[in-house]
Amino acid sequence: MSLQLKAGQHSMAGRQFINQDFADFSLPSAGLLRDKGAVFAIADGIGSSQVSQLASETAVRSFILDYFATNPAWSVPHAALQVLKACHRWLYQQNKHSSYGQNPDKGYCCTFSALVLRQQQAHWIHLGDCRIYLYRNAQLSQLTRDQRSWQAGQQLLSQALGAGPEIVPEQQQLSLCAGDCFLLASDGLFDFISQPALATLLASVTASADLDQLAQQLANTALANGSDDNISVQLVQVLAVPAQSQLPGGLLASAQLPDGLLPGSLDARLPLPPLLQSGSVLDGMTVQRVLSQTNRSHLYLVALPDGTPAVLKAPSQTLANDDLYLEKLLREEWIARRVHSPYVLRAAQPDSGAQAMAPRSAIYSLFAYIEGQTLAQWRLQQATPDLQQVLGIIEQTGKALQALHRAEILHQDIRPQNVMLDAQGQVCVIDFGAARLAGLQSDQEVAGDIPGTALFTAPEYFTGQAGSCQSDLYSLAALCYYLLTGQSPYGPDIARCKNLPAQQRLSYQPIVGRHNDWPQWLDLTLQKALQVDPAKRYQHLSEFLYDLRQPNPLLGRELTLQAAYPLRLWQCLCYLQALLILWLLVV
Amino acid sequence: MAYLIPAEFVSKMVDAGEAKIFMSTRDTLIRAFMAGAILALAAVFAVTVSVQTGSPLAGAMLFPVGFIMLYLMGFDLLTGVFVLTPLAWLDRRAGVTIPGILRNWGLVFCGNFAGALTVAFMMAFVFTMGFDAPAGPVGEKLAGVGEARTVGYAAHGVSGWLTIFLRGMLCNWMVSMGVVGAMISTNVSGKVIAMWMPIMLFFYMVFEHSVVNMFLFPFALLMGGDFSVMDYLLWNEIPTALGNLVGGLAFTGLTLYSTHYKTAPKRELLQNNSFSGNKKAA
Repeated sequence: MSLQLKAGQHSMAGRQFINQDFADFSLPSAGLLRDKGAVFAIADGIGSSQVSQLASETAVRSFILDYFATNPAWSVPHAALQVLKACHRWLYQQNKHSSYGQNPDKGYCCTFSALVLRQQQAHWIHLGDCRIYLYRNAQLSQLTRDQRSWQAGQQLLSQALGAGPEIVPEQQQLSLCAGDCFLLASDGLFDFISQPALATLLASVTASADLDQLAQQLANTALANGSDDNISVQLVQVLAVPAQSQLPGGLLASAQLPDGLLPGSLDARLPLPPLLQSGSVLDGMTVQRVLSQTNRSHLYLVALPDGTPAVLKAPSQTLANDDLYLEKLLREEWIARRVHSPYVLRAAQPDSGAQAMAPRSAIYSLFAYIEGQTLAQWRLQQATPDLQQVLGIIEQTGKALQALHRAEILHQDIRPQNVMLDAQGQVCVIDFGAARLAGLQSDQEVAGDIPGTALFTAPEYFTGQAGSCQSDLYSLAALCYYLLTGQSPYGPDIARCKNLPAQQRLSYQPIVGRHNDWPQWLDLTLQKALQVDPAKRYQHLSEFLYDLRQPNPLLGRELTLQAAYPLRLWQCLCYLQALLILWLLVV
Repeated sequence: MAYLIPAEFVSKMVDAGEAKIFMSTRDTLIRAFMAGAILALAAVFAVTVSVQTGSPLAGAMLFPVGFIMLYLMGFDLLTGVFVLTPLAWLDRRAGVTIPGILRNWGLVFCGNFAGALTVAFMMAFVFTMGFDAPAGPVGEKLAGVGEARTVGYAAHGVSGWLTIFLRGMLCNWMVSMGVVGAMISTNVSGKVIAMWMPIMLFFYMVFEHSVVNMFLFPFALLMGGDFSVMDYLLWNEIPTALGNLVGGLAFTGLTLYSTHYKTAPKRELLQNNSFSGNKKAA
């Protein structure tokens, strides 16, 4: 069952001349609702300004529009924050470049609260003093906190969209239950209807209630209670929540992959492709040759109907019942379609103008064909690899990871077999089978097995921690180390260390001295990127990539005692002083 | 489908070999100990059956239960790692080195030996009421095995040594077929059938299995067999282990690896021609 919602709203100027509030929502259709959710936003222009109604309308409209345009791989909080920040910066710049630049109280400023309901979660982002309430089990609770402060006996907003260079919105989330009712309202409403009265009114909401009418009724009640402000109210009723067991992205069960190829439910999903051979035809594609067959997947080089070469990745027959694996296989193409970088594998695209692809008759993923060799094969051909070439490869791989990280995707399986090098020296990161998407994360995967390969997987995975960008950084640095030396920075022992104390006993084996041309500081860079503790690694990939080419004076420097242990040092000095005083007293 | 195509299960063999090399010392020892112990118990069981029924075939038909139990529990025999770990090295898996393989073999050998010795001691105690009574027909039979298959070979000198080496080869050819066969199937019944056939064959043919011998001979010594520990090592355990290594690797591991895993490049060459118009190149 998918998420089912019903919504209604009402906004009126009330006793004011103009309505500076603005409220709107978007309830998209099934596919988008599952991926991005439904969005409800309300904004209240500040009363001291004559133009704040423009700010509130702009904020709400652009938030809803831009939120749905964000990368589907992004998590809801990240997407909401990015969109709201962009919205804020635009309003702020408008203020700066207008006559209100010196006096934001008169400019394009508004409060803003938005609610995003996606799958089993409600997320909200909030700035200012509109409110979001949740009515559940006959109890009304206020989810947001009013960002108001008292100054000179007057209540003022502590934050507003468009005012001040930076905003720090409040962001939270909770799990949805069927029957939940959310209420978003501006201060013209909740300042004039007490919370118990609101609860009483919401208790009358039934599944068949007309929410627009109810919203209007609420606004009229506030007006009757003497509200002198604009009144806006939105009501959202959660009719049904999807079951927890549904797979994260729902690709298997959805018609979401390109060309609407998958039927609507898990029971009626597509079969696995048959075992293909050179010359076989599947969905209009001709198999040119078998690239590899393992117990996980089969890779075939195929020619699309228009002749474009592509790689078809089909699941191994034995995994027909492993839904999580099949889901991940489909997700690989999903990722390839959404991350645009010259260093990241693309999905297969027929030439423009060519006839449309036939609908898929089986579960598989299609990727662009990269002519080249994996770094594992490349490394075997190099007796002593050229440092500059290796650094070039690592930089390109790093850029691929940056592109993935920007889309909130962790690759989690960077190793020589998963990076292709073409004849021109261009790198392409392949295989997203172990990738983790913030936007599509599921509990099953968090508790699942360790991604990647023992020697290139960051140590924290073995101790049960979740991965981070630093984990991919570790793998990248381990790849660099491997390409240079053909070995692992901690030797094969790292694969046998499954707990933190054992990992901390490992010692990094320096590369200095193995080759005359390699600079000594390269060790410092690699060592920092390969720390067992992710917090001690570089915090950004870009820092590591920069330090690969330039010696970093901060890395090599031995810390002085005072810098390393400031507290201990002064404590010791005090103890010594105390002893000296005692001794002098005695003598 | 409960069946893997050859290319699939051979890649599984290489993966399994790599995983065993990277296994922690603790896990390697525990798994090897249990494997040695279970196989030893199965040997006692099989000999008991054959003595009591008077039919060695009955014993051989039932011996595979031990191997099946230990395989399903995920335990490791020396004969299995002999075949699997070198494949990961041949495939040039990162971090797989010869010392790493030798380390794994050494640990598994020690673990198997310790497990088999434990069962040998326990069974010797059980058969003789704590070394206080005669061992009975099964105990006698087991105790007698040791002498013929050590001093018996020694009597023939180099030919005897080569005989036991060849018996070791033949043994692990079959046993590793069991290990690999179990990988072909993905359900328990399929695995059991695949393991049953070669294991039954090797036991009935009295081929020499290094881990089974780790039980038989120490047990025979405990029961007062007339041969020395040195006889056992030189004229049985060492040639058997070497034979197991060569037989398993040559007849099972390398053949499957080279024909099913390394086939891709050859096909690639053929197929490259087909791009230039010769579609039916085969």
